[in-house]
Amino acid sequence: MKKNGVKMIKINSKNVDVFYGKKQALFNINLDIEENQVTALIGPSGCGKSTFLRCLNRMNDVIDICRVKGQIIINDFDINDKSCDVVRLREKIGMVFQKPNPFPKTIYENISYGPTIHGMAQSKNEMDEIVENSLKKAALWEEVKDRLHEPGTGLSGGQQQRLCIARAISVKPEVILMDEPCSALDPIATAQIEELIDELKKDHTIIIVTHSMAQAARVSQNTGFFHLGELIEHGSTDKIFKNPENKRTQDYITGRFG
Amino acid sequence: MNKNKEKLLNSRYRAEKRFQFYGKSAIFLALLFLTIFIFKIFSTGYTAFQKTWLIVPVTFDAETMYLDENPSKEDLEDADYFDLALQTMFNLDKSASEKQQNDLKRMVSYFFEREIKRELLNDPSLIGKTKDVYLTASDDLDQVFKGNYPRDLPEDQRRVTDYQLKIFDQLVEQGRIESKFNLSFFTYPDSREAELAGIASSFMGSIFSILVCLVIAFPVAVLAAIYLEEFAPKNRFTDFIEVNINNLAAVPSIVFGLLGLGILLAVFQLPRSTPLVGGITLSLMTLPTIIIACRASLKAVPPSIREAALAMGASKMQTTMHHTVPLSMPGTLSGTIIGLAQALGETAPLILIGMVAFVNTIPGSPLDPAASLPVQIYIWAESAERGFVEKVSACIMVLLGFLIIMNLFAQIIRHKFEKKWS
Repeated sequence: MKKNGVKMIKINSKNVDVFYGKKQALFNINLDIEENQVTALIGPSGCGKSTFLRCLNRMNDVIDICRVKGQIIINDFDINDKSCDVVRLREKIGMVFQKPNPFPKTIYENISYGPTIHGMAQSKNEMDEIVENSLKKAALWEEVKDRLHEPGTGLSGGQQQRLCIARAISVKPEVILMDEPCSALDPIATAQIEELIDELKKDHTIIIVTHSMAQAARVSQNTGFFHLGELIEHGSTDKIFKNPENKRTQDYITGRFG
Repeated sequence: MNKNKEKLLNSRYRAEKRFQFYGKSAIFLALLFLTIFIFKIFSTGYTAFQKTWLIVPVTFDAETMYLDENPSKEDLEDADYFDLALQTMFNLDKSASEKQQNDLKRMVSYFFEREIKRELLNDPSLIGKTKDVYLTASDDLDQVFKGNYPRDLPEDQRRVTDYQLKIFDQLVEQGRIESKFNLSFFTYPDSREAELAGIASSFMGSIFSILVCLVIAFPVAVLAAIYLEEFAPKNRFTDFIEVNINNLAAVPSIVFGLLGLGILLAVFQLPRSTPLVGGITLSLMTLPTIIIACRASLKAVPPSIREAALAMGASKMQTTMHHTVPLSMPGTLSGTIIGLAQALGETAPLILIGMVAFVNTIPGSPLDPAASLPVQIYIWAESAERGFVEKVSACIMVLLGFLIIMNLFAQIIRHKFEKKWS
């Protein structure tokens, strides 16, 4: 979405360093994420792209030995500030994980959990509506509308991942973080999810970590390339794939390492 | 080269075969011991579930009972049945000498008076009439009838006299001896007389103890486990606590008994010999078991579920209470039941807090003195009478049955509520 021809910046990270104990995992990351665009983070295993993603909704808090330095500004607000409420933040910034992880509850309960704890529905009807809309947006409604009260874990892998996406969008987050959402899925399910991502970017800003360069090229408008904890290069996907500035980026994209 | 490889391969196969053989032998040995153990208990114990009765004609003579005409219910309650009961037994052999009369009296339990009284209270119209009444046979005759008693010993070496045997054999011939299911084993409290001893007191004592233990140990242990596993910072202090919880699980149970004796009885002055004190003592023992089981099953909940909930904006507390704890409950519950089953079989601490006292009343609450099943086994095993030998085995059977049911329950809970996660 453009405002006066200038792309709006949704997330602005400044000098982000991450440490696991004594080991530094990310070095001085400065990356701007544009609103209502898909940004892909690529790079070889262990390069810190997932770590960076998890900084954006402070999921690294869960890890005792992990420390984050620097500023990550979302809506003019530094989320690493002490006054930031993690629960509120995560309501605004949803996340989809590498392995589908639906709650071992019914499909309906999986979706309604977020809206329930955030008090988003006043009545059963409202909740039904949220569940239906979320499932529709995740392109899962047609497949599960007759079995909403069956366990979510009984679905196929691809369906489970779309259920997780539906769960993430049920609380209407501004940003959706996706950590290799297709790595556990077959090509058909992957294609469905990619289609979905394209659809979702109308309402949400999406950041996706992926191992598949082809996927990054297909779904994203912007790409950031990580290597050994550093952000080597970022820019529009077109530019990164066709005309990278850095040699390491070029080597990675052409498959010389990684 | 090839030959060497062949040799190596063969020796590897042989090693596996040997290992399988050792494993099978170990299982066989374990099963063998179990079979011997169970066979021994059943073969000595099953007769305890039968009870021998003498069927004796009782003439409810108002005069012998010192009753007036048209007695009221109270009169019947207060009447003297002892002479009537004695007379009844003496009537079995009218020509008996005084010594023989004494023998006759000792052919039945000392409850014979009450058994006759109960018959009349049930049907007051029996006054002046004669009716066959079932009287509990004495322990020795009970054993004779069950074939557990060596009849061919010289008379001075056995507790049954020749005269008693003669009368008994006459009664058998007349069909006046009957063996029936021993209901009183389950409804009577302990007694010094083997034929009247039952497990009602110890059974209720065990149930009350276990309930007290559950009510105290379960909430404390679950809260401790949840806090330690989900909330507590991981540092030296919590490590120290963890090590000590594991140590607590390994403390010999008698030490907990001493603790109960020294603190609960001596300092807090709680009533001695009661399931309340027993239950509190047992709960100290069960606490670490439940904590360990609960922590293990909390650990087994995949982190992806926690992450999913946290990423949805659930607080730590919500994540724990909505997702982690419900998912860990099957493991926690089955751990709890196994802990309780251990507590149920515990003897030593209960002896120390006085639950070994002879209790011939059935407890109505955890504050009444009571025995417990394993202690009852211990008490009976110390008694000399032949009748208690089978009772020990029978009581073991009841205890084992109880334990099997509890373990079965633990299995069912685990299977029924275990949820599969991706």
